[in-house]
This record gives sequence, structure tokens and C-alpha cells, in this order.
Amino acid sequence: MGAKDVKPTRSELIELKKKIKLSQSGHKLLKMKRDGLILEFFDILNKAKDVRAELDKAYEVANKKIGIANAVDGIITVKSTAFALQNIPQIELESRNIMGVVVPKIESSSVRKSIEERGYGILGTSSYTDEAADAYEKLVEKIIVAAEIETTMKKLLDDIEKTKRRVNALEFKVIPELQESMNFISLRLEEMERENTFRLKKIKG
Amino acid sequence: MHLLQRLKKGLHPQKSRSKGHSNYAYTTARVRAMKSKLLPRETYPRLMNMEINQITRFIQEVEYKEDVDELAMTYSGVDLIEHALNRNLAVTFTKILSISEGELNYLISEYLKKYDIWNIKTILRGKYCGASTDEILEAVVSAGRLRYTFLSELAAKPTYEDVIEALSTSEYYSILKEYNGENLSGIENLLDKKYYDDLFQAIGDPKSKDKKLFNKFIRTDIDLKNLVTLFRLKKYGIKDPSMSDLLIEGGLKLKIKEIERMLPLSFEDFLTEIENTPYWEEISDCCSPKMDSLIYVETRLKKLRLKSAESFSHVYPLSIVPIMDYILSKENEVSNLRIIIRGKAVGLSDEEIKNQLVI
Repeated sequence: MGAKDVKPTRSELIELKKKIKLSQSGHKLLKMKRDGLILEFFDILNKAKDVRAELDKAYEVANKKIGIANAVDGIITVKSTAFALQNIPQIELESRNIMGVVVPKIESSSVRKSIEERGYGILGTSSYTDEAADAYEKLVEKIIVAAEIETTMKKLLDDIEKTKRRVNALEFKVIPELQESMNFISLRLEEMERENTFRLKKIKG
Repeated sequence: MHLLQRLKKGLHPQKSRSKGHSNYAYTTARVRAMKSKLLPRETYPRLMNMEINQITRFIQEVEYKEDVDELAMTYSGVDLIEHALNRNLAVTFTKILSISEGELNYLISEYLKKYDIWNIKTILRGKYCGASTDEILEAVVSAGRLRYTFLSELAAKPTYEDVIEALSTSEYYSILKEYNGENLSGIENLLDKKYYDDLFQAIGDPKSKDKKLFNKFIRTDIDLKNLVTLFRLKKYGIKDPSMSDLLIEGGLKLKIKEIERMLPLSFEDFLTEIENTPYWEEISDCCSPKMDSLIYVETRLKKLRLKSAESFSHVYPLSIVPIMDYILSKENEVSNLRIIIRGKAVGLSDEEIKNQLVI
């Protein structure tokens, strides 16, 4: 909105003053939100780093354990045993709110199982298979935690970016333009008042 | 018709095979010749230094050529080798069954029944999770009495009820009919226990020295199996006395009462308790209350099993014992080759591969 496009009326001036006040309070709130989100982001970033490291380690262990099970029991045995899996892990997706940002909350069940809950017979299998299953259960658990934290982090980042753009737009574009328009109207109104005074004096004379 | 007769014969072994003249001399002579073709111990360190392609080539140059050639159209790389090894195992054991006669054939087929049980379990597991016929057949090893064609028919059945129905004339039906689509692990355990019960029934009251030895070998096997089961239960903190269902009766040195007594113990107490068993010496250095893996214990017990079979084999040359020794050695050769190849393929260190080998 260019300063010259506005109608230089008193009501417009009052309207602009209201808008400026609103924009300034919005700007202040958004700045606070941005700072809050950044603090929250750094907190989650540290957690994400730890979870990622744990996930990498769990993946490495799981790969090694399945490698040993495939080597010792044979891939045929491991495949056949995997057919017997009971209780596929259940995942429930909920959401929570961090300063207006909706982030996922992932609840899982039936990921870690005891040996008798896995579905395969104990007598016909070996501890190589048990340990591979254990390692993969741990890996799935870590993946679920990492998925929650990393999605939260991405959503927070998106929102920080969005909020930063809004703060900048208010600070460097909207508020200065509104103030410019307000100044223009004030000057124009003063000008009009002086013109009126001069006109009245001329009529009297 | 011929196939049907073979199948019927396979499904009712006790009626047809327990009697008749046994050809011990002929079978053991053939088996000794077969044993001479097994890879010698010193081959494994050489294989450890080879690349996968070199190992494949080496395997193609020895006993597994035909199997590799046969399966090369379907599989490649490490999968090709593994399937070739399993095919060779199945062909070898089928050959032993075909050359043996009478009571000897009956005893061998009872011992190899573990493959039939394995295949039935695989098919039921496949049906349980909705795997395709091809997927199920990939996991089948027809090294027992049930032929591949019959197993293929079973795998192609649409539901587990049809599979069980097709096995209604088999000795496994009494257990399989209890399967309700939910209790697969229980059925698997019962089938595995039945295997040992039937073996004992096949041996009967061992009067001859070789049968006594065979009986001793099976009972040692049961001891080791029970020990591994206990280790696994304890590691998962299971103290439920009802788990005694998983224990197999008839062990040589570990009586069932003794083992049942260990069920409610904690892992630490369990370790203290097995210190008094004759198997402790073999596993003592890889056992500790804080151990997080049972892999080494199981590998040690496997070695012990093989060692005990080997020690028996020279005592009675014209008996079931050298044949059992060959079967175990052949299984071990296949297992060792698979460990080296798979281990190399997944990037296990030489030390880790070496630890798993049973040489």
C-alpha cells in the first residue's frame, strides 16, 4: 500500500493508528514466538542428535545380528521363522501443540516381545534368531522415537522459518508503510487545516 | 501311482520300515566313501582367506557343482550358494535313505524326520502370514521322508486347514488338528518334542551295543537342547514353572527333575546351578551373570555335540553310529560353508566368522 494511495481523512488516520498498534503488538508476539520456537528447536535438536546416534548404533547391531543368524541358521531358517511373527507392532499417531505448532506424538505397542510372545516355537529355533529378533525390535523402537523427534524438528523448523518471515515482513514492510501512510495523512490534514484557515481569512477580508 | 506309494510309505514308516533285513555293511561302506569326500578341516582357514567369488568357484569344483549349475538360473550370489548347499544336503540324505534298508533305513528316516517337521512348520508359518507358495517353497528343505512334490502340493494349499487335512493320514495329525490358527508356537514345540519321542520309540529298548550308543547320542542331544532352552528362558527372565512343557524328557546327564528345579531360578542362580553339570567345563569361559549374548554358548554346545558323535563313530563301524556321524558332519560342512559365505557377504570380521565355525 503506497502512502499516496490512502485517503487523507481523519477516520483513515484513526484506522491506521489502530492498525499500527495491532501490527506492533503482533510483531512483538511473533518475535517472542520465534525466540521460543528457536529455544524449543535447540532442545529437540540435542535430543535428535542422541536419538540418531542411538539409531545408527541399533541399526549396526541389528545388521550384525541378522548377519550372524543368516550365516549360522541360514537365510531359509530365518525367513521361515519370520513367517511365524505374531502381534505386528501397532503404532498410534496423536498430536501435541508446541507454541501453536502441531507436532506428532507416536505411541507404539507390541514392539518389544518376550521369547514366548514372538510366535515361533522355542525348541525348533536358536538363540541366533532370538538375538536377531531382539536387535530388530530395539531398532524398530528407536525408529519410532526418531520418527517422532525428527518430524517434530522439521515442523518446528518450518514454523520458525514462517514466523521469521512474518516478523521481518511486519518489521521492515508493513509497519514502516503504515507509519509512512500515517505521516502522510497527518501532514495532509495539517495542510488542509492551514488551507481552510487561509480561505476563511480571505473571505473575512 | 509310484509316488503315491512312496508317500504312503513315508507317512506310515513304522508299519513298513521297522522290520526287514538291514544292510549295515553296504550302507556304512557307501557312507564312509561319502564321508571321504567331505571337506577336510584345513580347507576352512583357506576359504576364510578367499573372496566370495573364489569360494563360489571352489564350491563348484567340489561336490556341489551339480547343485550350483541346477540353481544358477533361479538364484545368484550368496543366495545361489546357500540354496545349492541345502539342495545338496537334501539330495545326500535322500541318497542315504534310498541305499539303506530295513531297520537301518527306519532309524535313519526317524532321525531325518526333523526335516519333515521343519518343512511342515515352515508351510504352516507361511500360511499363517499369507506368504506365497514360491516364498514358502524357498524355505523348504526336503531332506526327510516327505518328498518335494508332496511339500509343493502342501505349500500350494490355500489355507492351513487344507494343509492339515492333507496330512490327516500322517503321524503328525494328532498334534496338527489342535492348531487353531493362533497357537502356532505351541504346535511347533509339540512337533519338536514328538520328534524325540518317536526317536526313542524307534530305538526301543536298546539291547545291542550300537543301539545303546545311538541312544546315548540322542540323549546327549536332548541334554544340549534342554540346556540351550534353559539358557534362552533365563536370559529373557522367564521363571514360569509351566515352561517345563518346553523341556524334553530322556536326557543323559541332566534329569528332567533337575532341570525343572532350575526353571524358577534367576540367571545368576541358574549359572551357579549348572556349574555342577558335566557340560559346564565346555561353556564355563563364555558364561557370566552379565553375558548379553548366548551365541557363544550355543556354538560351544554345537561343537560338543559334533565331538561326541565323532568319538562314537569309530567304536562300531558296522552300525547306525558312523551314519549318524556322517549326517552330522555333512550338516556341519554345509553350516560352516554358509557361515563363511554369509559372514563375508554381511561384512562380519574374520574373528567373528571363526568364532561361529564348528571345526
